[in-house]
Amino acid sequence: MQRSIAFEAFRYAVILGIVAISLVPTLWMISMAFKPIAEWSAAGADLTWWPRNPTLDNFRFIFGQSSTELIVALERTAGRPIFASLLTASVGTLIAMTAGTAAAYGLSRFGQGGNLPLALIQLRLFPPMAVMIPVMIMWSFLGLIDNWFGLSLIYGIVTLPFAFWLMKTFFDDMPREIEDAALVEGCTRWRVFLRITLPMMRPALASSALFVFILNWSDYLIALLLTTRDWATIPVYMASLSSSMTGQLYGAKAALGVIAAVPPIIMGIAIQKHLVRGLTFGALKE
Amino acid sequence: MTEVTTLMPATKKAETQANSAARLGLWLTLPAQLLVLFIALFPILMQVYISLTDWSPLDGIPWWRAYELWIGLLNYTDLMADSRFWGALWRTLFVMLVCVPVQFLLGLGLAVLFVDDFRGKRVLYSTLLVPMMVVPAVAGYMFFMLFQSGGPVNDLLSFFTSEPVRIAWLSDPDLALIAVMVADIWQWTPLMFLILLAGMISVPQDQQMAAILLGASWWRRFFTIVLPRMKSIIIIALAIRVIEIFKIFDTLFIMTGGGPGVATETISVYIYKVTQQELIWSYVAAIALAILIVLSVVSVFAIKRMQRGQDG
Repeated sequence: MQRSIAFEAFRYAVILGIVAISLVPTLWMISMAFKPIAEWSAAGADLTWWPRNPTLDNFRFIFGQSSTELIVALERTAGRPIFASLLTASVGTLIAMTAGTAAAYGLSRFGQGGNLPLALIQLRLFPPMAVMIPVMIMWSFLGLIDNWFGLSLIYGIVTLPFAFWLMKTFFDDMPREIEDAALVEGCTRWRVFLRITLPMMRPALASSALFVFILNWSDYLIALLLTTRDWATIPVYMASLSSSMTGQLYGAKAALGVIAAVPPIIMGIAIQKHLVRGLTFGALKE
Repeated sequence: MTEVTTLMPATKKAETQANSAARLGLWLTLPAQLLVLFIALFPILMQVYISLTDWSPLDGIPWWRAYELWIGLLNYTDLMADSRFWGALWRTLFVMLVCVPVQFLLGLGLAVLFVDDFRGKRVLYSTLLVPMMVVPAVAGYMFFMLFQSGGPVNDLLSFFTSEPVRIAWLSDPDLALIAVMVADIWQWTPLMFLILLAGMISVPQDQQMAAILLGASWWRRFFTIVLPRMKSIIIIALAIRVIEIFKIFDTLFIMTGGGPGVATETISVYIYKVTQQELIWSYVAAIALAILIVLSVVSVFAIKRMQRGQDG
């Protein structure tokens, strides 16, 4: 369809304007992460938009190396929280994907567990805050507070709806002929699932796992309630990163923010095709 | 006779095969069922029990002996008269009523601009999706920096008004809520855009072509063909945002901590504060249950209606 040049100009102007605005907060944080302490906030009326003297001091600082300007030593460095985020998000993803994939296959092929779709949507509907009291009581009873497995288990349950729905739509899309052929050959259904279906679904499994990982990695509230110190994740650690001596450690926090924000953005762009499917519980496929 | 004898084992074999399939299906769904039970049934029963007592973790007695502090429905009657709770609920609904329409209109407008091909579409599309992939807590921190009184927002305002602007966005009770809503709109408009664009692309072309041939204007085609065909997708997109804003916590809590005072205290922030700072867990259980019951009724009703809508 032909459109007028005026329309094309209008379209680019609007889109570029919105893209510019939507990038400002992210760029501001990236710029902040590379600013030396003197440029962190406006001294007088002079605000630095782009670092005049770019430095890696902020990154060194959060990993425990104090510089001449930042003489405060951190009680805890960022290494441990980054590890905690990685481990809990990964194990949570593993739990959600294992239970979700198995259940999705069970429902898609054998019609079992017909209550799950609705139950899982409802699970997604409830604010996590509304079920956290019993979880906190149980967890402290089981000694799972501030414990990597305790946090991972909740992550696995909270993201199970997404894993289940994503995998269900992928299984529903998959032609059954190949499975049927293997069954005629005399394979057991279990073997067909493990040896034929799952390997064929590898790309779908990878996309779903990345999607679930992003969700787990993005959590703040649950980690805030269930961890205190040893297994505090990046966002929890970040919020604690203010000292009474320096006030807000803008640059240091921004550096940590960049570390936290980059992996999900890359992963998200990698699985862009499936984002709609995942976010709408498979109601829409692109 | 010979036919029957050969048939018999075959049906039997098919029967056992169907049985084993059903059994495998049950086993496969079992872990998910157990996890759902684990997070749904047990915690809810526990919440019902605790909410009828005056128990808190500071009492020094384990939760199962909470009956020693039995107070019946007092927590619930307290809740009815809790002005802080109703304030938080109203504030959450207000944020919802402002943010969802804004996100919807912006997302829809962008989707219209992206629906046909143009140069650079893919790159611009990916770039627009970046905000929704930023970790919400980090997004909260970004906006915390932007809205500092010596921060870039004020710097830009100073530039445009050519006089120094020093607005304390996050410590002004009225402005803090606006700042929080700006952050939410920034982060989640891309989600609306993503879903609405996918829905718009899936509207079949044939009717539109016919309408073009009949000389219908673009606006006419959009409102009589495209939008009605997108109805169910629009409902899904709106429902997702409504649900998520009802839970709003991360970004907001990092930006303002619910303050100043209670100016940005939403339902989740309020529950969090009662849980962590005032430690009245039995009361939290009562609030949580009340919310769960209302949400369950609303959701069952909404899903039933949507299913009926799809059939008809």
